[in-house]
Amino acid sequence: MQIREYILRRLIILPLIVVGTSIIVFSLSRVGGNPIAIYLEHEMTPAEVAEIEERYGLNDPLPIQYLAWAGGVLTGDMGWSAVSAQPVTEALFERVGATLELAIFAAVIAIAVGIGLGTFGGARRDRLPDHLTRVLSISGASMPIFWFAILLLILFWVNLGWVSIGRSDPTIFATITHPTGLYTLDALLAGSLTAFLDALRFMILPAITLAFGATAIIARMMRSSLVEELNEDYVDAARAKGLPERLVLRRHARRNALIPTVTVIGLGFGFLLQGTVVVEIIFRWPGLGRWMADAVLRGDQATIMGYVLFTSVLFLLVNLIVDVMYAYLDRRVVLGA
Amino acid sequence: MRVDHRRRIPRIWALLIVLAVIAAACTGDPATQTTADEPSATTAAPGDTTAPEETTPDEPTDGVSNPGLYIHAADDEPLSVDPAQVAAGEAGETVITQVYERLVEIGPGGPDLIPSISTEVPTIENGLISEDGLTYTFPIREGVVFHDGSALTADVVKFSWDRALTMALPEGNSSILSDLVASTEVDGNNFVVTLIDRNAAFLNSVVTAAVASIVSQEAVEANGGVEAGVVNEFMTGNMVGTGPYTLTAWNRAENIQLAIFDDYWGEPATLDVRIDQVADADVRALGLQAGDYDSIETDPTFIGDLEGAEGVTIYSGEFLLEPVHMGMNMNIQEDLLPPEDTIPADFFHDVNVRRGFNLAFDYEAFIDGGLAGLGGVVPHYLPQGMLGYDESLPVFERDLAAAEAAFTEAGYWEEGFTMTVLVEEGGVFEVAGLVLADSMAELNPAFQIQVLAVVEAQFDSAHAADPFPYAAWVKNSDPFADPAASFSAYIHPDGDWGAVHGFDQAYADPDQIASLIDEAAVELDTDRRVEIYQELATLLYDDPVWLIPGNERALMAHRSWVQNFEMNPLWPRPSLKFAYLDK
Repeated sequence: MQIREYILRRLIILPLIVVGTSIIVFSLSRVGGNPIAIYLEHEMTPAEVAEIEERYGLNDPLPIQYLAWAGGVLTGDMGWSAVSAQPVTEALFERVGATLELAIFAAVIAIAVGIGLGTFGGARRDRLPDHLTRVLSISGASMPIFWFAILLLILFWVNLGWVSIGRSDPTIFATITHPTGLYTLDALLAGSLTAFLDALRFMILPAITLAFGATAIIARMMRSSLVEELNEDYVDAARAKGLPERLVLRRHARRNALIPTVTVIGLGFGFLLQGTVVVEIIFRWPGLGRWMADAVLRGDQATIMGYVLFTSVLFLLVNLIVDVMYAYLDRRVVLGA
Repeated sequence: MRVDHRRRIPRIWALLIVLAVIAAACTGDPATQTTADEPSATTAAPGDTTAPEETTPDEPTDGVSNPGLYIHAADDEPLSVDPAQVAAGEAGETVITQVYERLVEIGPGGPDLIPSISTEVPTIENGLISEDGLTYTFPIREGVVFHDGSALTADVVKFSWDRALTMALPEGNSSILSDLVASTEVDGNNFVVTLIDRNAAFLNSVVTAAVASIVSQEAVEANGGVEAGVVNEFMTGNMVGTGPYTLTAWNRAENIQLAIFDDYWGEPATLDVRIDQVADADVRALGLQAGDYDSIETDPTFIGDLEGAEGVTIYSGEFLLEPVHMGMNMNIQEDLLPPEDTIPADFFHDVNVRRGFNLAFDYEAFIDGGLAGLGGVVPHYLPQGMLGYDESLPVFERDLAAAEAAFTEAGYWEEGFTMTVLVEEGGVFEVAGLVLADSMAELNPAFQIQVLAVVEAQFDSAHAADPFPYAAWVKNSDPFADPAASFSAYIHPDGDWGAVHGFDQAYADPDQIASLIDEAAVELDTDRRVEIYQELATLLYDDPVWLIPGNERALMAHRSWVQNFEMNPLWPRPSLKFAYLDK
């Protein structure tokens, strides 16, 4: 099957999966808590509670409630996000830029360092450099992220004063327009070096924190794949042909070792795009994860539904991209088979 | 062997950078270096329940971070900044207090009212309260303008009050107006309110409340107007008031920015304000030490982290008017209780059980542990600072022998019981629940308290349910400024909690309690009111319907460079008015 056909087929199926997901989540949200929990106060009379239920259509049968919500989504109205005091759609687009930007930077760091470390360790199997990269990988995977984040803050914020937390210095942030929602990109488009440096200053610690765990996983996967590939016959053949070890590694073994690693990277990037609750809370990053955590804790169902819809679409698209990349990296893979 | 120096040089640079970072880290906090001359911060001694204190002097220092801007780190973000939509105690009140004004305000340093939009505080003596106590006249200040440039008049004041009454949003606090106000009128330049019945708490509990804030009529009418039961989305996120600050930006999940209002009629503020949303308490404490925040909302459990930090002052002021309390449910529905619970439906009907809990609780452990020593015990139901409080009023102290006698009299000493207490997870409420569990187990191992800690949404859903699905719960009370409101809500047999918890099945004489509360609510003679509330406090010592683990002091950590720092527990949290502060 041609890649184009495959993508088209997946895109046609996508809305059906999204609808199925949203029905499941909608049902669970009704089972798991009161949809108006965020508005409830003890002092409210039953009549006042009924008034709020009426306002949000909760007196209708569940299928009607779902259809009303789904109909709103089709017109771009996903309801009111109480935790951010604005429409869900507006809140979603404000936060997705922050999360996307952080995810991209963290992913770039994690991919570059993870593949580099994995290759470095795998090519030196059971030697000191390999042991060191494994220690680093295991520490990254096992270290509690909140603890690592707090350590970074104590060192670079409290003691050195090099960075701050949040997304930006509000004064500098206000000096440029934000057409894309990605602060670094907007700063470059505006030609403002000050804003660009401001964006980097605020992003560096959360990006490193996020990347640390992801780096470990990528490095581990890359190393084990590379070790496996280096034992394959085609590698021996390449060596027998007289190819330098550097070329054997780069042109043959590493390319094949990347195949399973790309899957891990793709799924990891999907998780990063959802927003990461702990990092966003600790670094006061105004992204999707913090928004969602707040909504769950305070019982804001409209926000939860909007978020779930968005992330389910996102995951489906990321999976699609990973599958296509898989086929590109490994010609033996037949899409849609 | 040939050494490749080109490869070694980057390694040397990397090593030098790492060493530089470590060396710089060891030199300490740059912010604290600039305030090295300041005295060290200290805190009130644990268990000290008498003297409010500012523990380091507020001397101006060089090297102040962000001059001209006051940054407060808050733990919560508003759901709305519309006075008609904000619930009492909700984070929106923080901003409303700074940007909007009310007819009269609670002044700094105490409970006294001061003029604001009204040029005088109504009293019977100055003739602005009618002899029958039903009509209040507020002379409206001239020359006051809103942030949008429109003029404030008596008609606009009436519009603002009528707006809240018309919208009557259930999630808001308009019921405190509708419960009392019979009519509003404009008489020349006066705003006149007629009450349904006399109410001693009208001025300091209703007129000063966020819901009574004065909003710009022009702004409202240009942006959605007023519709009964319908939220005005513009006003939910925008503010047009007359206060010393204008709302310049609300960057959701990041900050709320307030700028000094140049045309303010009163004493202008000196600092712009930014309220940063910082959900994590550890991070707020780090930000204060880094010098990025001027003040932070502080949980008592974090005092240990901040104690002794250079350049940081821990302010421990008056008591908050919101004691932590454990509700006892006399309307238990046995089929709703968790299956582990073994108590009968009439468990708390017996005064011996209620007194037994009050006598068994380890108050010292809770105050020294959960409140970091910054709290005190409370008479029922008069926290220190409230009208009627007197240190001679009886308070419960731990007395295990008396508790044993009470439970023996009630018939539970031999058989024991298991009971679930609902709390919101984390913070002092959960600590209070755990102290209760330990206290009861220490009294009698057969007394098993299960502390069920749930997230805010679950707690709020259960808390709003009637019948309440558990035997007991722990939270703090709402911060009422006057005992008329708190006794009505928490003690009256027909009040908010009296009705849900079935106080009429508990009190030895519910009619006596009700008549005393009703009498005090309409009594305008302060001395008589004090007498009544003290009589009630004494009655409630013998016949308690709550357990009050303790009351927290107003507590905040701030940079020592902040001047004129003052918290007033009667102001909405964080009990600050930024316009008074400087640095």
